[in-house]
Amino acid sequence: MQIELQKIIPVPLKDKFAQRGSDVWNKELRFLEREWIKLKAPSGTGKTTLVHIIYKLRSDYEGNVLWDNNNLRSIASNELAKMRQQYISIVFQDLRLFPNLTAKENIELNRVLQKPIYESRAIEVMAARLNISHILQQRAALCSYGEQQRIAIIRALVQPFEWLIMDEPFSHLDEENIKRASGLIAEECDKRNAGFVITDLEDDTHFHYTKQLNL
Amino acid sequence: MLNILLKKLIKTSAGRIRFVMAVMGLSVALLLIFSAVQIEADYYDLLRSKNNQDSIANFLVVNKAVTNKTVGATTLSDAEITDLKKQQFTDAVGLLTSCHFKVSAESLSERIPFYSDIFFESVPDEFIDVKTDAWKWDANSDYIPMIVPNMFLDMYNFGFATSQDLPQLTQELVKNLPVQINIKTPLGRVNYYGKVVGFSDRISSVLVPQPFMEWANAKFGTIQNAKSSRIVIRTKDPGNPALTAYLKKNGLTTDADKTRFSKYRRVVDFVVNLSWITGAVMLLFALLIFTLFIQLTIASCKDEIMLLVTLGAAPKQLQQFLMKQFFPSNIIISVIVLVLIALLQFLLQQFLYRQGMYVSPLISLFTIGTAAIILLVLWVVNKWSIKNYVYETT
Repeated sequence: MQIELQKIIPVPLKDKFAQRGSDVWNKELRFLEREWIKLKAPSGTGKTTLVHIIYKLRSDYEGNVLWDNNNLRSIASNELAKMRQQYISIVFQDLRLFPNLTAKENIELNRVLQKPIYESRAIEVMAARLNISHILQQRAALCSYGEQQRIAIIRALVQPFEWLIMDEPFSHLDEENIKRASGLIAEECDKRNAGFVITDLEDDTHFHYTKQLNL
Repeated sequence: MLNILLKKLIKTSAGRIRFVMAVMGLSVALLLIFSAVQIEADYYDLLRSKNNQDSIANFLVVNKAVTNKTVGATTLSDAEITDLKKQQFTDAVGLLTSCHFKVSAESLSERIPFYSDIFFESVPDEFIDVKTDAWKWDANSDYIPMIVPNMFLDMYNFGFATSQDLPQLTQELVKNLPVQINIKTPLGRVNYYGKVVGFSDRISSVLVPQPFMEWANAKFGTIQNAKSSRIVIRTKDPGNPALTAYLKKNGLTTDADKTRFSKYRRVVDFVVNLSWITGAVMLLFALLIFTLFIQLTIASCKDEIMLLVTLGAAPKQLQQFLMKQFFPSNIIISVIVLVLIALLQFLLQQFLYRQGMYVSPLISLFTIGTAAIILLVLWVVNKWSIKNYVYETT
């Protein structure tokens, strides 16, 4: 699946972005299959806005976003659900876990929302790799931010996808854990021949990016 | 697995009291509606069923009420008869033909002597409830069969005979009694030989075969083209209030005893109407409470539902899940109420059976059909409100 951005610019930030040069805003852009894309930008330049626009959480923007030539604006809710179950997975900056479900249940939910591709056991294997086995039975609300971040990453990895969207997924992880997480993510993307879009504040070498863009 | 997780997220306990209220309201509403249908079905059962077919109930002799205004003018016009035929409660109309000559009867037996002026009437055979081979007339013979009302014999046995110190008579005895019939003609008296061949409760008159009457009226009649003033109608339901109302409106009367069902019928109608109107109103309120309950549940899980959809849950998936949470209670209520009605019906059958009335011990198909229709309505309302509120939320 390709993602195409046609001169998108968020309406509330229009004036602010018009004066500044950007690789993304108001540009024609195409994310090809299996591309690993890094979006670098300082705080407040619209990383999360872009992620939400691509994932169709907001539509207050000019221009068009196409998923495989389907304009996001005209996609129906049940079709959108199918895309989110099969083609696009996401790690939100604010994580968005269900606070009253356990870590395991949070991940399990996204595994069984569609026809599962992994056995339930795969969750434990991934959790072990990211050092969070011990909190799997704990309510998500009681986990630290760094733990929640890893739960959210595993949750995104247990479903099928062709694109993985990650919004500052390592902000609360130490170098060691970032290494483990990026290793797991790269492995899962390779398995699926999937591409990803990751946003961050700084340059990094966590992945072999095929494209680096400044927002 | 998904359902277990969804159950943890979408809690239906938010409006527990409302739910109990809705369930109670729905139960009472269904009980009233189903009872109304079942009572109506039972009433028709009583009316139509062969086991209950009461020979007197279905035939009514109708004539104009004799009042100061109608004295001497009680004949029914063709228009009046045609109009009566057109009424939906009338299955068939038979004219009672009166005789246009004078008749007297006298006993040939010395043991039981009597003499009396009498009259004849006739009616098509299909309206007569006495079936016997002796009910035949032949122009070549001088034999005339007669059917007399049971009431005549009763009046004689219990009124006349006891007061005059005369022997009481059995039906069999009367049937064996040879009677001489004298018909007065302009040329003098003609003698026939008559016999009572049966007793009837249906038409209170001395009946002779229709062909004899036509023949005799033509031969001996002194009044030409006389019109009928009594007719007999066959009806499915003599208790039909429309029939009583029609008779009253047109100044007609009939045996009040036969239309006595009319009063019962009005009571049944009233109870049934009251029951189903109350039931319908309650159903409406129950539906409203159910809808509010669904709305409340969805509203109280708004955040969870939105996040589920964000993660890729399809609104359809959520609707199916919610439907599974809400609708089964409706099915359970309907089934329980149906079972209750079936039980009551069985008890009613036992009770009525002891009163000599027969209704089915089983619940009517109409009641089950009504249950199916109401379930369908409930399903549509549930589905609609879930869909509405889920879309409102997402």
